[in-house]
Amino acid sequence: MSRKWREWTITLPSMGWLVFFFVIPTLLVCGIAFKNRTINGGIGEGWTLDTWLNVIQPSYPLVVWRTLWLSGLTTLICLFFSIPVSYWLARLSKEARNWMLLLIILPFWTNFLIRVFAWWSLLHSQGWLKQALVWLGLASPEAQLLYNEWAVLLVLVYTYIPFAILPLFASAEKFDFSLLDAARDLGAGKLRAFVSVFIPGISQGMITAFVVVFIPVLGSYAIPDIVGGPTSEMIGNKIAQNVFVDRNLPHASALATLLALVVLLPVLYSIFTQRRQKRSTGRRS
Amino acid sequence: MDGFIELRGIRKRFQGVPAVNDASLTLNRGEVFSLLGPSGCGKTTLLRILGGFETPDAGRIIINGQDITDLPPNKRPINTVFQNYALFPHLCLWDNVGFGLKMAGKPRKFIDQEVERMLDLVDLLDHADKKPHQISGGQKQRVAIARALINKPQLLLLDEPLAALDLKLRQRMLLELDRIHDEVGITFLYVTHDQGEAMSLSDRIAVMNQGRIEQIARPMEVYEAPSSSFVAAFIGDTNFFKAHVSGSVGEDYSTLAIEGVPSVLAYNDKKLQRGQQVYLSIRPEKFRIQREKPAPTEHLNMLKGKVLDIIYLGSNTKFRVECGGHVLMITQQHARFMLDTTPLTWEEEVWVSWNADDGYMLQRYEEADARLLDLPNEEESVP
Amino acid sequence: MKNRSKFPMFVTIGVLVFLYAPILVLIIYSFNDSRYPGAWQGFTLKWYRTLLEANSVEARDIWRATRNTLLVAFCATIISMVFGTLAAWAMYRFRSRLQSLHQMLVYAPLVVPDILMGISLLMLFVNVNMSLGLTTIIISHTTFCISYVALVVLGRLQDFDHTLVDAARDLGANGFAVCVRILLPLLGPGIAAGGLLAFTLSVDDFVITFFTAGPGSTTLPVQVYSMMRHGTPTLINALSVIFIIVTFSVVIFSQRVLQKRDNSHPHI
Repeated sequence: MSRKWREWTITLPSMGWLVFFFVIPTLLVCGIAFKNRTINGGIGEGWTLDTWLNVIQPSYPLVVWRTLWLSGLTTLICLFFSIPVSYWLARLSKEARNWMLLLIILPFWTNFLIRVFAWWSLLHSQGWLKQALVWLGLASPEAQLLYNEWAVLLVLVYTYIPFAILPLFASAEKFDFSLLDAARDLGAGKLRAFVSVFIPGISQGMITAFVVVFIPVLGSYAIPDIVGGPTSEMIGNKIAQNVFVDRNLPHASALATLLALVVLLPVLYSIFTQRRQKRSTGRRS
Repeated sequence: MDGFIELRGIRKRFQGVPAVNDASLTLNRGEVFSLLGPSGCGKTTLLRILGGFETPDAGRIIINGQDITDLPPNKRPINTVFQNYALFPHLCLWDNVGFGLKMAGKPRKFIDQEVERMLDLVDLLDHADKKPHQISGGQKQRVAIARALINKPQLLLLDEPLAALDLKLRQRMLLELDRIHDEVGITFLYVTHDQGEAMSLSDRIAVMNQGRIEQIARPMEVYEAPSSSFVAAFIGDTNFFKAHVSGSVGEDYSTLAIEGVPSVLAYNDKKLQRGQQVYLSIRPEKFRIQREKPAPTEHLNMLKGKVLDIIYLGSNTKFRVECGGHVLMITQQHARFMLDTTPLTWEEEVWVSWNADDGYMLQRYEEADARLLDLPNEEESVP
Repeated sequence: MKNRSKFPMFVTIGVLVFLYAPILVLIIYSFNDSRYPGAWQGFTLKWYRTLLEANSVEARDIWRATRNTLLVAFCATIISMVFGTLAAWAMYRFRSRLQSLHQMLVYAPLVVPDILMGISLLMLFVNVNMSLGLTTIIISHTTFCISYVALVVLGRLQDFDHTLVDAARDLGANGFAVCVRILLPLLGPGIAAGGLLAFTLSVDDFVITFFTAGPGSTTLPVQVYSMMRHGTPTLINALSVIFIIVTFSVVIFSQRVLQKRDNSHPHI
């Protein structure tokens, strides 16, 4: 009896806080999506599906599609570069490895907006990168590097690549590298051994890396807002636009609900695969 | 038997599975008492109940006439040496040992004096300023003992204290524990799965299996007169025979009919009647094995057999001998210079003999216990 | 292994260049005597002077925002350290259905995109008629910081040997003494690491703050954002460099302290 009581007393503070400031607000957003807006930007009485009908208007599928492919491509690029990095880090000595790791996460500790700003100044029409490209003849002086999808993609990759490296490295660190020698011994080429032994060996890290990159990118707002333009808006921009510009809270809520549903899919997928993995390893032991 | 500490009918279940099932025992003042059993037999649960870390579902614990069942660990006159030492990693040895007295609110001067005495007892005074991770496993063990003894508990619980040490160190620590016990004279309750530790250290042993206490007795009794097939098989090796009482010889002896072999004579301390079923346990070293038929004497049993296997181990040899469908495990000590003899070989016909007093009739027998033995059981080895 | 491919090493070096180049350019720009990013107009320290002497409206706004940021981060860190540590202890100590629910709740904010947390908290504050300001920012930051603290402390607890608590109880320590003499000293570094993470995340947060901040309660990231969008970005370079120097030195310092501690306590 007293054990139960003790458990509740230490669980209640965090649980209560999260119920009140996380669960209830989330439900609230889902609820408001079914409300009307009032003229002065408030929330109307009664329930309606009008907001949802507006959300399915022609321009949104494009934004949703763009959000998905930008997030997907960002994740793929991050994974593509992180896998060799994690492989190399895992083979370093412990001392060197710690320093390299620190070097990789150090930029992540600087303010995120500052890093976005740095790219903004580089890509700016007067920026050095732009000028360098013009000088090399790779871009015309009129070309605009900023305010398009590629600028958004670049900065997204820049921001999220450390998030992909860390879980991949954690997996690679546990990888038994003699397996690679064994594969080579059995006649596999260097690349073949890497692809068919190392990559399956770090699959758990790849799933984690996928989740920690893909989901935040889906909800990104500041990056497309700063280095993107009207043709590179993502769902996040539409949500913010409805909150701050159009003052249409129900519409913003409907979009947020939509985003939440999109986010939920990979989360459920990763939980599902982890369960299955756990169950299969459990059976083995 | 002064009944200084008493456990009465202790029961504990975890998620419906009984861990300790109606355990009762009495500890005498100053003795070393062992709880011996395989892992999962409930010995650690029983120890944790004594220490106050678990509450029993039923039963009482009484020390010196006082019921302490409901007291929390910090109010019990009992201290524990934990299996993994559980030394506080952020405190030096001196502070680790002094922790108990500090908690008891003793004056600084007294604490210093006692800590010095205890560290001296375990011979670690030179390392007092070190942190636990700077010392070896055996030293950690000694600190754990000093720390537990400083509060002068009525009972010291030792939970597999040597399990984490290597063999050499374990043997040294056994002697060390014996010395410390002699010096402080506190009652020790020693939990182990290692029969060697239990036998060499204890005044008495309680053998536990599946939450029950199978037998409580002196080490020699546990070995020579096991109450059940579990005790017989868990402690040392043995041979089991299923038999019927077929007659009696004098007051104390009975003849037993065993399938496949001539009837044998056994000491009948259980006063079993003709026709009753009984299981006989005979230790491997009680047999004699030889080529010639031994001269018959009173109470000597002998069977003719064939050698199946020989494992020469230097000081002794282990034989597997087949006698009338039974496979016997036999150990023969070599007291003589062996090179002058012609050793037995495979397939050789031999005589196996033993004294009627050397077989022991078991009160309880479980088929499953035969699997605890090193030797394969009959069904497997004989087609 | 002389036969090992050099390719992974080149990728790593490339990634590092990619990560540091923009920051390096930013630092160079901060000494550029030009109002816009671009051609080098000569070396100057005037942006730093403006910033440090606070002799422009923008510089004064920056200092106010800095004060707000630190205040918010401080409050959110303290609250989330207490709640997060309790949460981690509850999840470590008890294995019940309540705790699986608790665990889901604690992990959920980690996977939800910032913008969703931002808008849902905004909806809550709008619905209960709470005026947006520092309080709402503190509440919002605490909400995600609790999860991070709990995560870090729980990670440390995985290596914590619970028999130490049993041992202390066995030697006569009551609940309070166990907390003060055993748990706090042993879990302190973990709690501090969690707090440090919470503090950085709070200082760093833009999106959630943007949604839950009111007029006059701007934090530094929000201030940087509005300068980027509406004002002149000249001061941002200098500000960024100061920011980078501060964060880098804090991180390297804490890393060294933690490493030293790890060496002296290999098991905790």
